[in-house]
Amino acid sequence: MIRKILHKPQALLGLAMMLIVFFVVAFAPFIAPHDPSELNVAHALSAPDSEYPLGTDEMGRCVFSRLLYGARSSMSIALPSLIILALVSTVVATVCAYLGGVLDRIFDVVSNIFMAFPPFLVAITLVGLFESKVFSIILSIVIAMWVWNARVVRTYVLREKQKPYVITCRMSGCSELRIIFRHIIPNVLPHLLVIFSTGLSSIIIMISSYAFLGLGLEAGTAEWGAMFVNAKQLIFSQPQLLVYPGLCILFTAGGFNLFGEALRDIYAPREG
Amino acid sequence: MLKAEGIIKKYQIPGRKKDLLEALSGVSIELADNSITAIVGESGSGKSTLARILSYIELPDAGKVTLDNLTVTGVKRKTLQKMRGKVQLVMQDAASSLDPHQNVLQILDEPLHLLLDMGKEDRKKRVEELLDMVNLGGDILNRRPDELSGGQQKRLCVARALATEPQHIIFDESFSGLDVTLRKQILHLLRNLRDELRLSYLIITHDLDIAMYMADTIHVMRFGKIIETVYKPQSFSDFHEPYSNELVKAALSKRQALQ
Repeated sequence: MIRKILHKPQALLGLAMMLIVFFVVAFAPFIAPHDPSELNVAHALSAPDSEYPLGTDEMGRCVFSRLLYGARSSMSIALPSLIILALVSTVVATVCAYLGGVLDRIFDVVSNIFMAFPPFLVAITLVGLFESKVFSIILSIVIAMWVWNARVVRTYVLREKQKPYVITCRMSGCSELRIIFRHIIPNVLPHLLVIFSTGLSSIIIMISSYAFLGLGLEAGTAEWGAMFVNAKQLIFSQPQLLVYPGLCILFTAGGFNLFGEALRDIYAPREG
Repeated sequence: MLKAEGIIKKYQIPGRKKDLLEALSGVSIELADNSITAIVGESGSGKSTLARILSYIELPDAGKVTLDNLTVTGVKRKTLQKMRGKVQLVMQDAASSLDPHQNVLQILDEPLHLLLDMGKEDRKKRVEELLDMVNLGGDILNRRPDELSGGQQKRLCVARALATEPQHIIFDESFSGLDVTLRKQILHLLRNLRDELRLSYLIITHDLDIAMYMADTIHVMRFGKIIETVYKPQSFSDFHEPYSNELVKAALSKRQALQ
């Protein structure tokens, strides 16, 4: 497996991009030239120079440092959300779709109810409920988005469970649970990797819209989404401020996506 | 002895709630130990449904299946699980009937672990023995099904079925789609294995030639019923039903085409 990853340029590129993001997350305080919240109003909206590598924003804060720290706040919410989201939707949808019958019908009804509300509305309702901001943001993202992922997972599982190898597994003495966790999930996982890796960017954007509504992290926290939203007002005078956080989101999501897709190709070469 | 009595199975036709399609209408069949039986019929005659019911993958709507005096239909799932290895089904498409993400070792190891409760070392030895039985080399242990040739996949399916130490193996159209030489090799292999391990086979096919070559008893099936049974067939003239004669004609014209 590892050898196959090392032989696939797409996987290597994706992995390298992910590692860069993780490196920045881990070492932001050592790389950043300034404190991300340090104000220097005299230098507001200055062009890049030796002190401020990417210039400053409207409050005179170092854009480069804010981007580095932004990786931290964005990823510390987006990654756990993504992992919980992937686990919940995969397990629930797979069990319901595989066992079928009443369980699948209940899933159908519940998911229809969840889908009737726009994810954003669910999130706004939930985000204020808990004391810990990070926890409530993660929870609201999971509750708002799980059903959309679960629907996709369900489709894959329904297709997978028709395949003859499921009967062979039963012949080999597998219980239903073993078939689900040892055979069905490993076989649909490659497809899910792609879906979930794309989900990362939508989660980052969603977190940013919380910031925009004042529901997210505290105002002024360095975070890509919030920076992106703030820069919207300066789109004509300082378009680069919009481009930087956008590129960061694109870079991160792109890395995860490339890696996810490459993993799928390595894992399930037949269906490509 | 694997026995089915008065098996009835109906299916709902998709989109038409009230209409039921009777796939099997009162089929009874007996598979003696150490025998080879064949069921011949066109597609849609209910052969595969019968195979799934005999291997207790599906339950019939009426009738019962017994294995050595134990009624299979109606026992608890746990008991069924214990008897799972006794009757094995080998399906038509070898490639899709193997889990694509498992390698050869894992495919053969699973039944040994789950059904026979063997230790790790014993399992490893047994996997090599099984591969040897079906004339596959140990060098393919780490390959996945899509990295094997069609013939290797078929042999692997047979090895997997043998792993459970079965009494009966049901081959559901397992030999269609193979070229003539390969088919001959596999059929030859199966005959040797039968003699060696005292197995009983049920061969389900639409090819009368295969049935004649292998079986002691041939049942001809049509529209969910067995319409003719021939014991110890010697030649095509043993078949008397008009439909059976059509199958004979088909087999003869295929032979001509091959020549």
